[in-house]
Amino acid sequence: MEGPANTVNYFVAGYAVIFGVLGFYLVSLIVRWRNLKQDESMLAELEKKESEG
Amino acid sequence: MNAKPKFLTVLDVVAAVMFVTAVSLVFFYAPLERVMGWVQKVFYFHVASAWVGMLAFAVAAVCGVIYLIKKDVRYDRVEFAAIEIGIVFGLLTIVTGSIWARPIWNAWWTWDPRLTTATIMELVYFAYLMLRSGIEEPERRARFGAVYAIIGFLSVPLTFFSIRLFRTIHPVVIGSNDPGAEGAFDMTPKMTQTFMFSLLTFTVGFITLLWHRVRLGTLADRIEQLKMKLQS
Amino acid sequence: MNGFTPFMRALGAVVWKDLQAERRSRELISAMLVFAMLVILIFNFALELESNIRANVTAGVLWVTFTFAGQLGLNRSMAVEKDRGCLDGLLLAPVDRAAIYLGKTLANWVFMLLVAAIVLPIYSVLYNTNLFIPGLVLVILLGSEGYVAVGTLLSTMAVQARTRDILLPILLFPVVIPVLVAAVKATGGFLQGLDFSEILPYINMLIVYDVVFTAVAFMVFDSVVEE
Repeated sequence: MEGPANTVNYFVAGYAVIFGVLGFYLVSLIVRWRNLKQDESMLAELEKKESEG
Repeated sequence: MNAKPKFLTVLDVVAAVMFVTAVSLVFFYAPLERVMGWVQKVFYFHVASAWVGMLAFAVAAVCGVIYLIKKDVRYDRVEFAAIEIGIVFGLLTIVTGSIWARPIWNAWWTWDPRLTTATIMELVYFAYLMLRSGIEEPERRARFGAVYAIIGFLSVPLTFFSIRLFRTIHPVVIGSNDPGAEGAFDMTPKMTQTFMFSLLTFTVGFITLLWHRVRLGTLADRIEQLKMKLQS
Repeated sequence: MNGFTPFMRALGAVVWKDLQAERRSRELISAMLVFAMLVILIFNFALELESNIRANVTAGVLWVTFTFAGQLGLNRSMAVEKDRGCLDGLLLAPVDRAAIYLGKTLANWVFMLLVAAIVLPIYSVLYNTNLFIPGLVLVILLGSEGYVAVGTLLSTMAVQARTRDILLPILLFPVVIPVLVAAVKATGGFLQGLDFSEILPYINMLIVYDVVFTAVAFMVFDSVVEE
């Protein structure tokens, strides 16, 4: 009885894509969040300066 | 003001644990399929991704309806977040579907109704983004987004059935004559468990990602408002 | 029943306005027709429209032609409206928005049917095929209705965006695929003389699409024309 086809490579490719895409999206969320946080603190400082000056 | 809700942290942990568990189940617990071998295991996350893609679209459409009724911008944010996440999972669905198809049908693409519908759905998602980016006023952008989210979502089942009808009556020459048989296989109990758990994991993952993405959108809006206040 | 008569009167007014304007300028129909002829011409060279292969391909060629020409008409119809400020004028009138939607959709439908009425005989002559089958007329009626029902709504949105011209096809085509698939298959079925029971599922699909999307577009149209 011949065993199942040797499709390990496709399996690896499939999960590489899954982990890659999900990982990329997670990282993008984190990076965007950090950028926005930086913007926020910068704007808060500007606002403080304006209300003082 | 911006504190991360504790429940979200809990959800993060739960989602992460579930994901690791699901991967382990797929890699080690689920048996090797008799004919297809290892590539069949792609199926678990492929279908789960497709499910999330549909779920995301449904969430977006519902938010669209609510937004049109209540004009509450929070629903617009959830809608937009859902579409973005839907794009990610839709992409996963299509690519993993293609990878699964290749060793089985010896073709990178089969015009199978589900995969084709998923691709068309992805195109609708992108059209949604293009619509929004073409409109300056936030209020109109939200309104139009809501309308297209609804129209787009409604078109998906009709698209699926029309293509399936198309294939049933005129089956494609390459591949099996049974349109339902794309890579069909019998599932043993272990496979079914893995499959169900993958679906659940991806659903929890979707909710978690959605929440995070909505928070991102809320922060972005707040910063826009700050910018405008400072400019005046 | 109270608001029915003014509603119908408003609807009639919108349709009449569009038809009259078109009758005077003939801008839309001529653009759509020329475009349709060009598409057919291009297909002649792009595909081997030899008589034996042609039967299968005719339905597809026809509907691609209608799709592209239809999109052109929808785009122009709305763009003209917006540029001349007619849309704003219409909206200021104390008229149910839904009447405006139905009126414009009806007018767009008439334009598309006119184009079909001219394309069919020309195609018949050019390729020596008889396209005058009652079933085909039914498919064109149903298919074009669904197409303009969604198209009118989407073109109203598209025309208000910066990327106006390219946006309509991008928004419309993915969503209108059920119509395309069902219309092509039904048309092909009638041309091949298939049993009606085989074509019926596609006709049903068209009807379902038409009903669902006309109703939904009718309900949400208000939201795309607010100021």
